[in-house]
Amino acid sequence: MTEERFWLLISLKLSGEALTEELAELEAYLQDHPEKRMQAERVNAILLTSSKTSALHKEAAFNKHMQRLSNHLSEPVLQYESKDDKDLVPDEKKRNPSIYKKLAWVTGIAASLFIAWFAIFDFSPGTKTDESTAQNTISTKRGSKSKIQLPDGTEVWLNADSKITYNENFQGDIREVQLSGEAFFDVVKDEKRPFIIHTDVIDVKVLGTAFNVRSYANEKNTETSLIRGSVEISLRSSPDKKFTLKPNDKLIVRNEEVKAVVGKTTTEKKENKPILLTWDKINYEKSDSSAKEILWVKNKLSFDGEPMEEIALKIERWYDVKVNIDDRIKKVDYTGTFEGESLQQVMEALQFSGKFQYTINKKEVTIRPAQNH
Amino acid sequence: MKAYQELYFLFFDGLHRFSFSFVKSKEVAEEIVSDVFIKIWQMRSRITEINNLKVYLYTVTKNFSINYIHRNYKNASLSIDEMDIEPVVELSNPEELFISAEMLNTIRQVIQELPPQCRLVFQLVKEDGLKYKEAAEVMNISVLTVRNQLAIAVKKIGTALPAYIQASFPSIKGFSAS
Repeated sequence: MTEERFWLLISLKLSGEALTEELAELEAYLQDHPEKRMQAERVNAILLTSSKTSALHKEAAFNKHMQRLSNHLSEPVLQYESKDDKDLVPDEKKRNPSIYKKLAWVTGIAASLFIAWFAIFDFSPGTKTDESTAQNTISTKRGSKSKIQLPDGTEVWLNADSKITYNENFQGDIREVQLSGEAFFDVVKDEKRPFIIHTDVIDVKVLGTAFNVRSYANEKNTETSLIRGSVEISLRSSPDKKFTLKPNDKLIVRNEEVKAVVGKTTTEKKENKPILLTWDKINYEKSDSSAKEILWVKNKLSFDGEPMEEIALKIERWYDVKVNIDDRIKKVDYTGTFEGESLQQVMEALQFSGKFQYTINKKEVTIRPAQNH
Repeated sequence: MKAYQELYFLFFDGLHRFSFSFVKSKEVAEEIVSDVFIKIWQMRSRITEINNLKVYLYTVTKNFSINYIHRNYKNASLSIDEMDIEPVVELSNPEELFISAEMLNTIRQVIQELPPQCRLVFQLVKEDGLKYKEAAEVMNISVLTVRNQLAIAVKKIGTALPAYIQASFPSIKGFSAS
């Protein structure tokens, strides 16, 4: 064996790259040449020590790094990066900044086609239920959700800060519930007894179907998203106008317009203003084809090209916090889906996609535009 | 976020050492590693598309380090083999090895005198535990070259030591006769 061969075998062994035959070859050689074994052992001893690491230094370096990372978000040019480095992974620029675990980012505003229509804002109870019978009320606080089963077997998922009221015995020709907030219904089919959901703005009449109703008093719209079956929606302001949704349809009624209308007219009368409402389609997530409108049922917090002012309301309900937003950032749209993330993680992710700064102080979140450098 | 921190902790030492070999400043090396991890953060959505994250991290660290040198030193060479590379190779202390401090200096000297690329390859394999294939990818050379350079480095170190300490050397597992 030549000197070169010997050292090659030694180096292969030390690097953990030697093949079985090579190890055998080396061992056979060392048997015959004990003086070489000493040399081999010495090199082994010298080279097998690896560097000691300092956890403390790492910790400090990481903290410094996080500081740089957050600064960097407002000035996204890496000082040591050249154009060539960007080509290491193909198509970086062409793609949308996209998914990190459960995060889905879409830049820009989701284009949806809107058709005008109307709505009404009315705080009167509005149910036709007999006031003499006992009412069951189930409500959720901010930061919590609940699933309930009605006496007829219908399942209702109640989102945060929502309330559903129904007659205790749930008997009679019609099944009626009063909803404020957001709920997903999976209604047991009973053709003889229609199921009616009353909200401040609309009444939803169903036979047997699954759909989501979103009717928060502090939001601009009342939304009905139909997953399967069929529902008939009538407006509280003009009950003779009826709209039938087909699966995947979404009806958005503008609460705000109504509010303005209510000031001038009574709820009984037809307002002279045109009704404002929107036909839309349910947004399905590409990854698992679940409807974005009902992700909350699966405990996912989702924003779909929504402006910060609406996101803030969702976050307030979801995490039971108060969100203060600077006016300049209210209209900026964000998209994202979160599952099991903490408030801080959600804010951090949103902050990454849009230039703002946030602070969390106990139960209060404050969002300001990032300072430009 | 936790995964990100773990990734940082896992690779900080190696990448910092690797960058330091080029830039020879702990502060600059730390900034470069930070930039590498900012880049990782930026592309976190596509991190699974990277075949070998380790190779990617070392390659980006190398590129950023070389960019730094070009930006800060005029007439800097483009070839690693003409660069002034400071190897960071940890050696045991003399007491543990039954060799004199003087001898340890000799070994350091030997490592220092290896060609720059050879030194870097040696460092990547010895200190950072990269496979030959990984080191080859990072350095953009063939696996055969890595193999040869490792053999050269080990030979030079092995033959630099005088013969007389051999007798007193304790048996180390791995090379002991069986």
